[in-house]
Amino acid sequence: MDIRIENLCKRFGNTHALDQVNLSLQSGELVALLGPSGSGKTTLLRSIAGLEFPDSGRILFNGNDALHLTVQQRRIGFVFQHYALFAHMNVLDNVAFGLRCKPRRERMSRAAMREHAQALLDTVQLSELGQRYPHQLSGGQRQRVALARAMAIDPTLLLLDEPFGALDAKVRGELRAWLRRIHDETGYTTLFVTHDQEEAIELADRIVVFNQGHIEQVGTPDEVYDQPCNAFVFDFLGRGNRIHGEFSADGFIPRGTELRLPARHAAGEGHILVRPHDYSLADAGQGLNGRVRSRRRIGGRITLELDVEHQPEVIELDLPYDLGPSAPQNGEHIGVVPTRYHVLD
Amino acid sequence: MPQSTDTQPLRVPRPPTSDPPWVRRGLIALAVLFLASFVLLPLVLVFAEALRHGLGAFVDALVEPDALAAIRLTLLVAAIAIPANLVFGVAAAWAIAKFQFPGKQILITLIDLPFSVSPVVAGLIYLLMFGAQGWLGPWLDEHDIQIVFAVPGIVLATIFVTFPFIARELIPLMAEQGSDDEQAALSLGASGWRTFIAVTLPNIRWALLYGVLLCTARAMGEFGAVSILSGHIRGLTNTLPLHVEILYNEYNFAAAFAVASLLALLALVTLGLKSALEWRLDSERGAAGRRE
Repeated sequence: MDIRIENLCKRFGNTHALDQVNLSLQSGELVALLGPSGSGKTTLLRSIAGLEFPDSGRILFNGNDALHLTVQQRRIGFVFQHYALFAHMNVLDNVAFGLRCKPRRERMSRAAMREHAQALLDTVQLSELGQRYPHQLSGGQRQRVALARAMAIDPTLLLLDEPFGALDAKVRGELRAWLRRIHDETGYTTLFVTHDQEEAIELADRIVVFNQGHIEQVGTPDEVYDQPCNAFVFDFLGRGNRIHGEFSADGFIPRGTELRLPARHAAGEGHILVRPHDYSLADAGQGLNGRVRSRRRIGGRITLELDVEHQPEVIELDLPYDLGPSAPQNGEHIGVVPTRYHVLD
Repeated sequence: MPQSTDTQPLRVPRPPTSDPPWVRRGLIALAVLFLASFVLLPLVLVFAEALRHGLGAFVDALVEPDALAAIRLTLLVAAIAIPANLVFGVAAAWAIAKFQFPGKQILITLIDLPFSVSPVVAGLIYLLMFGAQGWLGPWLDEHDIQIVFAVPGIVLATIFVTFPFIARELIPLMAEQGSDDEQAALSLGASGWRTFIAVTLPNIRWALLYGVLLCTARAMGEFGAVSILSGHIRGLTNTLPLHVEILYNEYNFAAAFAVASLLALLALVTLGLKSALEWRLDSERGAAGRRE
């Protein structure tokens, strides 16, 4: 189902939880709503589900106004952050709950319901656990039951609120890959909320970067990472530093260097934004002059922290691990040159 | 010379939260002694006195018409007061736990009022409202409605005294559970009523039962407020506790103790059920805790 959201506004007291939000989702997409906590992501999700009512604006499902529909009529699969499984029902009954709630003429027979619920459990790879109760399951298993339960009503749209927020890092990684697979198999239009940029980049077809109730940028993971439209998006999507210097007609001159980096910007003091992996190494005395303050190895990369002359921030720099012994040592003086950078205020 | 450390006895100071044995034993003995003399002994005495003149006298005291009438009235009052408080308690707890509204704190305080007001005062308030000299007295008289010194007055007094029990049990539990489960049920297509029956009620069932139990015990045992509103008409407006008082005042000790033993028995049964429910409730809370 196509979803279109037009000029959606919602205030709680003096804070704008949603401020003129415009967004459309194509059928079958997997979209991440990424932003810091308190930025209004969950409010948007709950507004779409019908659990919250916006002050103004429109929500259209396949072009039809959805705001006057009740939460039941919208038939949206909502997965809660803390799963909200029914503690007194076993897993199979939890999954079948939505089927039992259908109006009599649409309801299937008991046997068909069981079969359908069992099929969903198979899909989420919990075939054997139908008779267990929620408190007997691990966090990851509960999350999967919650998803199966939401899919049971053949939802028009799946909404997931911080689906992996309450899980430990390893389980989270496994579930991400699994969710992507489920999505590709079932094809439900899915919108999930997260504050973890890695999760969004790894999982989503498109990312919606959200901040203080409005959308900063919408794009594919590559687009928002490589071409952030402002400094907030740059900062939120990954690590990076500001290199301070001076803009002139010929480009950007980092403070205390002879470098001249092509850039379009009004002349004067300013900075460029650089990701840690967008530098090349130069001999000492060339480019930015830095002294290695610390050196760590994280998986397949070496991360250096540099004290750079005339720069207020410690600059982070990633190097490939296979540099081996030739990689700079602690205390060594090196030169670095930004190879890719963003001119954003 | 190097010394091996593990052969030397380790001098460990007493753990900070433990007390020397004599303090521990002393405290336990004090508690046991106190309970035995002030709770257990009277309880045993009640039964001993009740059976002093043999089982026959005991049964006679209970099947005597006035005693039977008192038992019937007590059960009737409980049968009206408890469902009323059940509805009120669930509604109030729901409102307080799941909605934000102005005056919420005042409502919570009001629910606690019967705990802090002496039941006698409660009785007097109803007397002031519905009595012959009260605000509504003349009007009630005109329409031939009898509240004070009749069953309706006793029911009102009992409801007043017992209404915090169920609400108080439910409010913290429902507040802790939040409304995610309800919202999940609604989003899965359940109606409001179905959500209440299939999701909310099962989530609170043990706390609800616990509240009903406490409410029942209090409803049947209430003396002060009921005493003022009943008028002590034998066979008509006497509840069990009032009947005990009357018998005692007539120096009919054997019968008084026999009826009292009935109330004591009720207390023991309540205590047993209460322990069982607490055990259930704890394991339920444990399960809820593991949910997070």
